[in-house]
Amino acid sequence: MGREAVSAPPNALVTGASAGLGRAFAERLAADGFAVTGIDRDAPGADPPFDHVRCDLADPGAVDALVGELAARGPFNWVVLNAGISATGPFEMIPPGAHARLLAINTEAPIVLTAGLAAAGALAPGARLVFVSSLSHFTGYPGAASYGASKDALAVYAKSIRAPFKKAYGVSVSVACPGPLRTDHAARHAPEGADAEKRMPPYEAARRILAGAQRGKAMITPGAGATVFAFIGGLAPGPVTSVMKRIIYDKLDRSVF
Amino acid sequence: MAAARRRIVITGGTSGIGLALVRRLAGRHDILVAGRRDDADALPVLPEGVRYVHAPLTDPEAATRAIAEALLKAGWVKLDNLILNAGTGFAVEGGTETAAQVRDTLAVNLTASVLLARALFPWLDKAAGTLTLVGSVAHTGQGLFPAYAASKAGLHGLARALRAEWAGRVAVQIVHPGPTRTEMHQKAGHDPGRLRTIFIPADSMAVMLEGAIAARRSPVTLSFGRYWTGGAAWGGKL
Repeated sequence: MGREAVSAPPNALVTGASAGLGRAFAERLAADGFAVTGIDRDAPGADPPFDHVRCDLADPGAVDALVGELAARGPFNWVVLNAGISATGPFEMIPPGAHARLLAINTEAPIVLTAGLAAAGALAPGARLVFVSSLSHFTGYPGAASYGASKDALAVYAKSIRAPFKKAYGVSVSVACPGPLRTDHAARHAPEGADAEKRMPPYEAARRILAGAQRGKAMITPGAGATVFAFIGGLAPGPVTSVMKRIIYDKLDRSVF
Repeated sequence: MAAARRRIVITGGTSGIGLALVRRLAGRHDILVAGRRDDADALPVLPEGVRYVHAPLTDPEAATRAIAEALLKAGWVKLDNLILNAGTGFAVEGGTETAAQVRDTLAVNLTASVLLARALFPWLDKAAGTLTLVGSVAHTGQGLFPAYAASKAGLHGLARALRAEWAGRVAVQIVHPGPTRTEMHQKAGHDPGRLRTIFIPADSMAVMLEGAIAARRSPVTLSFGRYWTGGAAWGGKL
């Protein structure tokens, strides 16, 4: 629709676009004809299908500057707030700076970006706004307590702004809770011996999440496994957290942050 | 038999639910209050014998250092209860907060709680103590103050994970108070209007909170359901 029109292609924004799930989002949106701006601290490698803007989302000053720069590039028809880091290990053994950095990147930056873009009028009417949370939102995450907290916060932020953003900006807000993915990020934090083949390829997750957001779904759990886990976790968060402790926390062979 | 004297740290203990709880517990227990007011403002409102440390949680790292130093200065080597009660939030139109509002809310409610829980774990561990995170019924989502709701959801998730991680060592709980008659709504820029008259009085909330802390269960919701069925009359004692 209008793909051959002379007007400039519509804009999309993806944070954490250089690798993993973010890269998959960016490639998918670029293939669908969007002009994608990809935010990442790291360089994207050869021939990225997006315009890379470097930013360390843990740095509040850099995030404030980024809001200004993005407002000038907008308005955006898709915004995918995907950037995230983890910190795995016994909670008290992880340095305070690592916990603070994680909360800044996973929770503070996407909220400041969202509110800033909205206030600047940089969200196009009818735009899709997607927050990438985690399947851990439906249970507890022993061994990644601050990560779990950061993703719970993000999911509930998305839920909170869904009605007001629809009313004030005509924007559809979704939250995605993917389970383990076949990415370098997951490999770095998973216990030794965990089977990467069981994890969903990031391109598959990105496709399902974008399709769900396009349909205006509030909560997207990509794949049947994630949907079942979310259902059981919602029914019995306590027992599921105990299982998570046995399969993750008790098997941690190292701390990674 | 009188209950043993406990050593208790309470953040945000100079107003609202925190102050009501401090007033209940003072005399029976040793209490260190942390707050954002300076000493001259804070000391007159606190009961006699309560220790105070000026530690604004808008700077979580500095506040954590100040509170840990205050514990050392007091000569406390273990801690029976850490009650992370301090909270802030801003009511906004259209769900759109400013960057400063988002950052203050997340720093005070979430990041400071993470850093304090981590830093004071060795004290709690020695006493087989209890970490209490004060959440909110808004933790499931609230369009009027989205970052506040998000921060309280973060605390809910933190409590779930830490309760499992520290099982058998330190009890971790999340307690979600319902609407309470404090200055918080006014500070947040929100006028609940005549609805405020049905809000739960801070003293009654403190009774229910003390009972929840003594019971060490999690998660606990302290709202109208419990209040209207006499929750403030039969709360257990710490």
